[in-house]
Amino acid sequence: MRWLFPFLAAVALTIAVMTAAPRAAAPEDELPEGEGKKILVASCTSCHDLSEVTKFRGYYDRSQWRDIVVTMMDYGALVNEKQVDVLADYLAEHLGKP
Amino acid sequence: MNTAIGRRLLLSALLLTVSSAVTAQVRIVQTNSQGDNIHLIDPATNTIAGEIKGVPINHGAAALPDGSLFFFSSEAEQTLHVVDGKSLQTTKKIPLTGRPNNISISKDGARVYVGIVSSPGAVDVIDTKTLERVKSIPMKGGIHNVYVTPDGKYLVAGSIAGRLMTVVDQKTDEPLWTLFEEGVRPMTFEVNPDGSTRRIFVQLSEVHGFAIVDFHQRKEVGRITLPNDVPAEKVDKGPFNASPSHGIGVAPDGKTLWVTSRPNARVYTYSLPDLRLLPNPVDLGGRPDWVTFTPDSKLIYITTENTDLVHAIDVASRKEVAQIKVGKSPKRNITAVIR
Repeated sequence: MRWLFPFLAAVALTIAVMTAAPRAAAPEDELPEGEGKKILVASCTSCHDLSEVTKFRGYYDRSQWRDIVVTMMDYGALVNEKQVDVLADYLAEHLGKP
Repeated sequence: MNTAIGRRLLLSALLLTVSSAVTAQVRIVQTNSQGDNIHLIDPATNTIAGEIKGVPINHGAAALPDGSLFFFSSEAEQTLHVVDGKSLQTTKKIPLTGRPNNISISKDGARVYVGIVSSPGAVDVIDTKTLERVKSIPMKGGIHNVYVTPDGKYLVAGSIAGRLMTVVDQKTDEPLWTLFEEGVRPMTFEVNPDGSTRRIFVQLSEVHGFAIVDFHQRKEVGRITLPNDVPAEKVDKGPFNASPSHGIGVAPDGKTLWVTSRPNARVYTYSLPDLRLLPNPVDLGGRPDWVTFTPDSKLIYITTENTDLVHAIDVASRKEVAQIKVGKSPKRNITAVIR
């Protein structure tokens, strides 16, 4: 019977860990992999958190996402001309209007 | 007879003044940049006195001088929401010419000005009687913040992308002069005894401090860097949206200038007009953003966007007196008087 207390304690600890509130997912964790994500992470997070991007989830169509990308380039974001449409496509696909 | 009438008129005016002073309510209007709600804080109790819902990704706020209507720009919907001051319900959404940022209102309350950040940049003009967009003033570069000078005579628009500040004649809507070759962020105004604009204190991209603009001379006359008075291990490394100092305000009594520092998580105070740094900066425990004052200059309200808090600070003692939990990522705020 001496084994019972440690066993029950281990079970309780396991249950506590498993039922604990999950770590809040970082915005980048929520986004699928792809060329667009690489550009997004590389060019946006030097200035702001990705929550500044994901907060627009579901509101913009592709042309509006492209407008944001161009505005951010005007602000100094290091996105080259070839990457603009890749990023706009990615944002429209994964964060665009349903 | 004339004296008797004069006395009655004087008494009536006095009663009207006292009555409106008694019934006026001051509210700190706090936007939440990653939410769809806006909080109204009662500075008498430092508690939430109301909540406006349904303005997704709200950016700028303005109120009519009598507080009967509020206006909020929604980046998500690219509209200006008109909200009834009593019911706190949206009564109209006015389409804008692009994605809006901050807004302001003319001194007489007749027009709301909306900074349009979408390229090529503009200031949309809304008539507050018809609640229609009546004009769009073209700008060089997307507009982040737009202000009306305290005397109501000029608009001042700041552009990050265009790297300039543009001063516009409020009567003709014609640009008069521009300044800077740097991204222009929040600004605040110091006035002369006659109410005209004396200086503008301007925050700029990547500047941990502010520039001093002589309004009459139309040029920058100085620049002040905020102190590096926080131990290195306690300095926040960011990111700060390329704007380490992003929150600035002259108290309504014109005696002090308050400037926030994101890396130092503090607000600094300068005396006016001599711009002498005063002791006892206030620690805020988060990344500070916008500031607004009560009309009597007794309290200043400062947001820390990464802690979802508004800090109420006693201006005279420079001590925090309350923290108010608001919505997600609070940023822009204004003071409204509801009569």
